Amino acid sequence: MKRYVLLLAYEPGGWDAASEEVRQQFFDAHHAFEEYVAARGRRLASGALADADTATTVRHTGGVATVTDGPYVETVELVGGYYDVELPDLDSAIEAAQLLPPSYAVEIRPTVTIEGYEHA
Amino acid sequence: MTAAAAALETVVRGEWGRLTSLLLAQFRRLDLVEDALGDAVEAAARRWPDDGVPDNPAAWLLITARRRVVDRLRAESMAQRKVPLLVTDAERREEGARTMADPGDLVEDDLLRLVLMCTHPALATESACALALRLVLGVSTHDIGRLFLVTEPTMAARLTRAKKKVVTAGIPFAVPAPDDLPERLETVAQTAYLAFTAGYAPGSGPDLLRAELAGEAIRLVRVVLALRPGEPALVALLALMLLQHSRRDARVGSDGRLVLLDDQDRGRWRRDEIDEGLLLLSEPALAGPVSPVAAAYVVQARIAAEHATAANPDETRWDRIVDHYDLLLELTPSPSARLARAVAVAQADGPQAGLAALAGIEIAGSHRVDAVRAELLVRAGRTAEARTAYDAAIAVCRNDAERAHLVERRDQSGP
Repeated sequence: MKRYVLLLAYEPGGWDAASEEVRQQFFDAHHAFEEYVAARGRRLASGALADADTATTVRHTGGVATVTDGPYVETVELVGGYYDVELPDLDSAIEAAQLLPPSYAVEIRPTVTIEGYEHA
Repeated sequence: MTAAAAALETVVRGEWGRLTSLLLAQFRRLDLVEDALGDAVEAAARRWPDDGVPDNPAAWLLITARRRVVDRLRAESMAQRKVPLLVTDAERREEGARTMADPGDLVEDDLLRLVLMCTHPALATESACALALRLVLGVSTHDIGRLFLVTEPTMAARLTRAKKKVVTAGIPFAVPAPDDLPERLETVAQTAYLAFTAGYAPGSGPDLLRAELAGEAIRLVRVVLALRPGEPALVALLALMLLQHSRRDARVGSDGRLVLLDDQDRGRWRRDEIDEGLLLLSEPALAGPVSPVAAAYVVQARIAAEHATAANPDETRWDRIVDHYDLLLELTPSPSARLARAVAVAQADGPQAGLAALAGIEIAGSHRVDAVRAELLVRAGRTAEARTAYDAAIAVCRNDAERAHLVERRDQSGP
């Protein structure tokens, strides 16, 4: 089994205006995805993210931690959610990603084990 | 070359992919297998001249390479390193046994697994080409670099990145479900065709043709076709490649310069390859409806066949070639196909018709549209406009040999 994080990008602003019917289509797509994952592997975690205008970015500049308002990169498409899953291989991850709503761009990132690191 | 060296070259050329795939199926270590096989070939080069060529040279290489891998694995386990393994479908079936569809009539062939892994759509096409040439055919990194006009270290880095992506991303060493297989084989075809055209793409230097390396792409298609006989996209692509490749000897003059189709000595075209290409085009696999990808290869092969079967340039059936291009543009519209169609129209109906067909075609960064326009203007007797078009073409042409040709044509075109 391989572990993948799927980052779901979309153009923000559509959800609030979406009709019941459209929302149901999104729910159905996510259900199909989750059922696929459950049948072939497992879902470790997932989440829908609040809009990027609620993001806070922390970075160190010149040895000082600075806190700024907003996401770390400004792009048209924003990460709006994620799935952390285990699946057999990239082919199954691609197949699963194709079940998600077609308005998404889905980035499939394999996770790696960092040799020598143990969780605290 | 000694008998031992010749035997080694033959087995490396013929069996590299199968040996790689057997080692990968057993050890699932993309990083070790290639080096181990390379070491085994070196050992053979040292020992076969003295010990004699073994009865089964491929088995000798396999056993030797296996030993190398096992040695490396031992050293790793001493150091307690854990390295990610290639994902295989054996494992996938085991883990997904509850839900996976019956594999049915899947071809259980490690070599096919290797080809499909190398040409996976999650890899950039150029990386996929390089990986397939290296792992399936054993083409050297140096030669692959030459094919794609990059240095050997650049190509080595590209191959390393591609292998890392395969392992880390979990691109499987596997045959996909039967429904998905035709599409994946089309990706194989597209990968092979990119490698082929790279061999004919003019570089920025004097190295006009790398046709010998384009021939390796033909070999790749033959390997896959042997595993999946009659696959339409591969049959059509092989026909197309052979018909184009058959002209390679006539494409370069004694002074090393490019010879255009009209001026080529047709006696130097490879008859055997033309005949094979024509035979492939009449295969039953291509008789019925085929996918758009396969159909586009068929049409392009028919265009090449029109040239290949004309005894001299004047007998070329340009009217039929225009029809073929019309069909091609329906299947896969592209500016370069429109340009080629305009050339055919000019041949069939004269330069004015060609110039009209040329209207509106733009290929950014390429000199070809202007070069064709200039040529047609010359034929139409509009020399002043022709000079302007030549100047525009020369300004953007980056290939030394082609630029020299354009300058010569401009200066011949009159005052």
